[in-house]
Amino acid sequence: MNWLQEQTRRHFFRNCGVGIGKIALASLLAESGLALGEANANEASPFAPKQTHFPGKAKRVIYLFMAGAPSQLELFDYKPKLAEMEGKPIPPSVIAGQRYAFIQPDAAVLGPQFKFAKHGQCGAEISDALPNLAKVVDQIAILRSVHTDHFNHSPAQLFWNTGNGIPGRPSMGAWLSYGLGSEAHDLPSFVVLKSGGSLSGGAAMWGPGFLPSVHQGVPFRGQGDPILHVSNPAGYDQRAQRESLDLIRDLNKQQFDSVGDPEIRTRIAAYEMAFRMQSRAPELMDFSQETKETMDLYGANPSDGGQAFANNCLLARRLAERGVRFVQVYHAGWDHHSNVAGGVRSQAKQTDQACAALVEDLRRRGMLDDTLIIWGGEFGRTPMVEASAALGRSKGRDHHPQAFTMWFAGGGMKPGFSLGKTDDLGFHVVENQVHVHDVQATILHCLGIDHTRLTFRHRGLNFKLTGVEEHHPVKELLS
Amino acid sequence: MNFLRASLALILLIGWSQLVPRSTHAESPVDFNRDIRPIFAGKCFACHGPDESKREADLRLDLRDEAIDAGAIVPGSLDDSSLIERILSDDPEERMPPPHTNDSLTKEQKELFQRWIKTGAPYAKHWAFVRPEKPELPEVSDSKWAASPIDRFILARLDEAGLQPSPEADRYTLVRRVYLDLIGLPPTPEEADAFVNDQDPQAYEKLVDRLLASPQYGERWARDWLDLARYSDTNGYEKDRPRSIWPYRDWVIKAINDDMPFDQFTIEQIAGDMLPEATQSQKIATGFHRNSMLNEEGGIDPLEYRFYAMVDRTATTGTVWLGLTIGCAQCHSHKYDPITHTDYYSFMALLNNADEPDLFVKTPEVTQRREELLAKIHEMEAKLPEQFPPVDGEGDIEQRRQQNFQAKRSEWLDKSRQEAAQWKTLRATSLTSNMPKLETLEDGSILSSGDITKRDLFTLKFSIDPLQLPLTALRLEVMPDERLPASGPGRAYYEGRQGDFFLSELKANFNGQPVKLGDASHSYGKISIGSGNANASNVLDGDGSTGWSTANQEGQSNQLVVNLDQPITTAGELTTGLLFERHFAASLGRFRISGASADQKLAAKQLPVSIEDLLAKDPQKLTPEETGQIEHYYLTIAPELAEARQPIDELRKQVPSYPTSMVMTQRPADNPRPTFRHHRGEYLSPKELVTGRIPKFLQEDEKTAGPTDRLELAQWLVSRENPLTARVVANRAWQAIFGRGLVESSGDFGTQSDPPSHPKLLDYLACSLMDNGWSMKKLHREIVLSETYRQNSNTSDEQQAADPQNRLLARGPRFRVDAEIVRDTMLKASGKLSGKMFGPGVYPPQPESVTALAYGNFRWNPATGEDRYRRSIYTFSKRTAPFAAYTVFDAPSGEVCTAKRDRSNTPLQALTLLNDAMYIELAQALAESAQKEASSNEAVAENIFRRLLTRPPTEAELKAILAYQAAQLARLNSGELDAAKITGNKNSTAESAAWVMAARALMNLDEAVTKS
Repeated sequence: MNWLQEQTRRHFFRNCGVGIGKIALASLLAESGLALGEANANEASPFAPKQTHFPGKAKRVIYLFMAGAPSQLELFDYKPKLAEMEGKPIPPSVIAGQRYAFIQPDAAVLGPQFKFAKHGQCGAEISDALPNLAKVVDQIAILRSVHTDHFNHSPAQLFWNTGNGIPGRPSMGAWLSYGLGSEAHDLPSFVVLKSGGSLSGGAAMWGPGFLPSVHQGVPFRGQGDPILHVSNPAGYDQRAQRESLDLIRDLNKQQFDSVGDPEIRTRIAAYEMAFRMQSRAPELMDFSQETKETMDLYGANPSDGGQAFANNCLLARRLAERGVRFVQVYHAGWDHHSNVAGGVRSQAKQTDQACAALVEDLRRRGMLDDTLIIWGGEFGRTPMVEASAALGRSKGRDHHPQAFTMWFAGGGMKPGFSLGKTDDLGFHVVENQVHVHDVQATILHCLGIDHTRLTFRHRGLNFKLTGVEEHHPVKELLS
Repeated sequence: MNFLRASLALILLIGWSQLVPRSTHAESPVDFNRDIRPIFAGKCFACHGPDESKREADLRLDLRDEAIDAGAIVPGSLDDSSLIERILSDDPEERMPPPHTNDSLTKEQKELFQRWIKTGAPYAKHWAFVRPEKPELPEVSDSKWAASPIDRFILARLDEAGLQPSPEADRYTLVRRVYLDLIGLPPTPEEADAFVNDQDPQAYEKLVDRLLASPQYGERWARDWLDLARYSDTNGYEKDRPRSIWPYRDWVIKAINDDMPFDQFTIEQIAGDMLPEATQSQKIATGFHRNSMLNEEGGIDPLEYRFYAMVDRTATTGTVWLGLTIGCAQCHSHKYDPITHTDYYSFMALLNNADEPDLFVKTPEVTQRREELLAKIHEMEAKLPEQFPPVDGEGDIEQRRQQNFQAKRSEWLDKSRQEAAQWKTLRATSLTSNMPKLETLEDGSILSSGDITKRDLFTLKFSIDPLQLPLTALRLEVMPDERLPASGPGRAYYEGRQGDFFLSELKANFNGQPVKLGDASHSYGKISIGSGNANASNVLDGDGSTGWSTANQEGQSNQLVVNLDQPITTAGELTTGLLFERHFAASLGRFRISGASADQKLAAKQLPVSIEDLLAKDPQKLTPEETGQIEHYYLTIAPELAEARQPIDELRKQVPSYPTSMVMTQRPADNPRPTFRHHRGEYLSPKELVTGRIPKFLQEDEKTAGPTDRLELAQWLVSRENPLTARVVANRAWQAIFGRGLVESSGDFGTQSDPPSHPKLLDYLACSLMDNGWSMKKLHREIVLSETYRQNSNTSDEQQAADPQNRLLARGPRFRVDAEIVRDTMLKASGKLSGKMFGPGVYPPQPESVTALAYGNFRWNPATGEDRYRRSIYTFSKRTAPFAAYTVFDAPSGEVCTAKRDRSNTPLQALTLLNDAMYIELAQALAESAQKEASSNEAVAENIFRRLLTRPPTEAELKAILAYQAAQLARLNSGELDAAKITGNKNSTAESAAWVMAARALMNLDEAVTKS
């Protein structure tokens, strides 16, 4: 789909590469009686594919954002020492100067709540909460040494998605749409899907910030129209819609002839693309095109709201196939301040199969090489137990920004690889410390972008996703 | 890599620079501001500018003396100036800017530098930092056309570029344009005709004056201001709960309608609370800076988010009044503008000395209603004895009633007197805490103010005198106070209930020895978040995570009583410690400690403390008034009157409470809030203390102190000493009307900004604004009365080629209207627009799925009555899930100050106007209204057309509409389409359905959402 940016929209009809194919454009132009005079001019729409800084292995990203922050200690970062120390406080030397959301830093330690085992040829150690991921472990790269600046959900989620803890900066998807353009036809370049509980960061997580607003993420809705207002109103069939658009176009055209504002031509084009989106959306959402084997692989079932995450993973693949640059799949429900064992078990049950299926499905289709899958939450969880009489909490874990785990697959990441190490308590990173901005730089790198050069001038400063301090792509992770 | 934006910027720059005469010819003099500073700012200042932390080779080029001292510049001598040597060098090691920065200078730029140094390398202050002076009017080619000053400046520039102004727009276009600009609504066909047919030569001026006087003027212009104020009805961040600050929004609308001078408008919003005898309205105005967000997420550090709010307020003040990106200096000194890191925090300090309470807005209407109801209640209470049940038996019923009442009352009185304990208020001799300020009030209670944290500890010392011995019990009374959130007694203001508290632990020492406390009881206990209990004994269990709280009884008194295991029998010093420890800040706001001497364990009572005191008094010594109080109290609790009191209780529920608005209150002199410089802008890295002042480069001279507090800052912002505010304000008015400011970057007038397209016009407008007593209406009036404004906006290929962005204004403005005006236009055209002004935010219809993405179970319940059709400025604004039909048309979310909206043109906008049920409903109303007013098909079509577009349709247009309508009608009649579905009305005809379809199509025309 092709949103048109103010400065370039007058040149829309010179561009045939984006949004609508040449044939469609030609017919559209013929229909609207506009000349196809300058169709090969080189000025581009905001979604024209852009040249990258260097060849990138990934063409698109599916980011499985585990909102609420999954416990790395229950899933990826096995710390037997915690079991030994269970019930005892963390040594003061470790906790000095730390701030926590709910607990006091001297709270007692809680042992791992799951068994761990080594899997695959790579021998990566993960817990038995993730039996399906264990089967594709040779396809993924596990990073156990991530840390962040924020220990509250909203700022930490914003930090991952926009590079800043306060709303207002462009989101990663918007940066990519701006920096790379779109390969999607009649679909947004940046799509947001969501399942599970509540998201903390709000719409700012897919906002355009100060980038042109055309780059903002389009949330697909879990109820009603997947894209707002993509269905005709009650009583209007396809022909009525088409004939209405014809009238609108004809009158707009008459107005253009009389006042000459190129903006009108842009609006004509926008309406035509809206119409095409309307016909495109049902096809996109129609899972009956998928085989039963594929549906079973994901555990997808469009009529079952309980399978929302699995459905979203499958939809993410379908969006990726249609050229959508950045699919953000949020699943909220990992904030286990109490009963971390039960919480992780239940969330893993909802997500493990579909995550593994996405990796496997993309691999089979040959899309894993150029699709980067990212899995991770906004921070980690404390080695210390959270218990509070007032809140009715026990055997939970609080927010832990100092060390946590993510994994990646495809798109130029090393398969069957693990990086990073935390101390015996899982409290601090001791090897290969990676900051959020480093991960963001890595993601951009996979797409062929030098994060220091993807900038936008706003109010006198050149802003970038990765902030002002020095950060680097994690080269060790790259294949 | 050739990013689109960069290349575009380049194209625009080149395009623009062709229009701007520059000193590219060897003979024309070099102008520092125009020619040299932009190169310095773009290529050199990052390493050789104001930021000392990034400065290379100890060289700064932004100050002439320093550049000369360093030998970079030797005025008049190219050979001796190392700057020239370095920029011309072929050696990559030597060349500046360094090759790796990709910031090489063009040949032309190098020549400019050489000519500039040859002619003595004069520096000049950045134009925006020099006070504007009213310029002479330029000579123009056509002084008849350019009769007004604005037109003189515009035409002079057109003359230079060899362009002609466009003819005046036709009257329909003009009336629609000026309606949209001044009141944000299109005219009805009747309103338009009234102007079009008005033969009076002054017709247009009269129309303008009428629109300026319309209350809808304030609703239209307040929207622009609310973008800057980042106004919203929710707190933002995760929970994004509702807040009450709409009285501030209403204040803005009223102030604009009253044409409050912009200087006063500024002073009241920044520091209204500090004005002598500040009025309620002036206090409400300080909501401007309360519009920053409040993080209510459980477990945050509240002071960290207060710091971020201050960062927002500092940056917003810079953008709104100074047009400066002060925010850039949060982390380090500004790279381009002369704002140091310390300047930034000093500026913040000016704003940082206020508390942030809620103000009860005592409107006369609510006050009157309250008084009426309370009087009624009083009256009804007085009659309660008449409803007391009589004793069984014979005789006069009233006598028996009286008898029973007296008997039961004395029974209660006797029992209560027996139970009443002699509590004595303990007056503290010393009050200390980790942070909040504690002070003793006249009644011996203690009030907490200032900042609070997630772990507050109060230490109170009392000197126990012999009269109070033996001391056997302590009572903690928690008390309401209007100064506290929701009237207290606690100070919780986020996450928990407003006005809640959470007392974790209560400890006592006597003469340094621990006093064992036990047998705790309370009058009421409930905690607000979590499943734990609020037992009184929690405060003695040594566990900070358990405690006492009185959630749901905000605004009411309660008490907690503890008994001493061993009575205190000697005089000495009693120390009590109150610990408040929760995942949110929740210490007490007002409370009182009393002691009792009793021979038994005491327990907390439901009885109000004031009544217990009276009951404990010798009955002989009670005044009649006190006796009356006791008797009145009995009426409110006597079980025999339970039924009789029901209507009173019902009435009490109807007593309206005052709405609140978030305001600023300057902190008392004995408790100022310190402001520090923060290393790298980080909350956790405070460095040295700073004092409030404006950035040095804006100070008049070193000797005058300049502003030292918030009020002085506000006054300085709108003083003649400040070169920026009037220009920034005039520029924004220009932007609102012409789509672009004279300075394109309306939020940045710094050295990095593009120069104004018409510098003298900008200064003229700024000076006129100040000379006209900062009247915004006069400014708007002058602009819309200009010939420049009244030109038609038709454009041609030649014009597009010469000036695609219309910066020189050889034609009138034409652009898509703002999101709210899109909806308001449709509301007015459909006849549904409600004229109701002010009040809390309202909920027009939108799909439930929009807010389903927000945190928690936020429900958007669409209004059903008049509120469904209120002007868009009254739509409830939810930051994390903004109203979708506005977002899609680039309305901001209220999370950051917005000086200029994007103006996109997208398929999602098309889908909204085509298919959104809200607009379908308006299409139905529009068709219905038109059919009521007109009978023939042509007339109905024309009516719909004109309600949306003002002008009459052309013949071709009319023909197309009628053909469409006929085609749809045929399909409806044939049963292919269902009229009931299309009109939303079972009983509708095919004909009216066809008109709904036509109305919907016309609502989607470019012209319907465009000001042309």
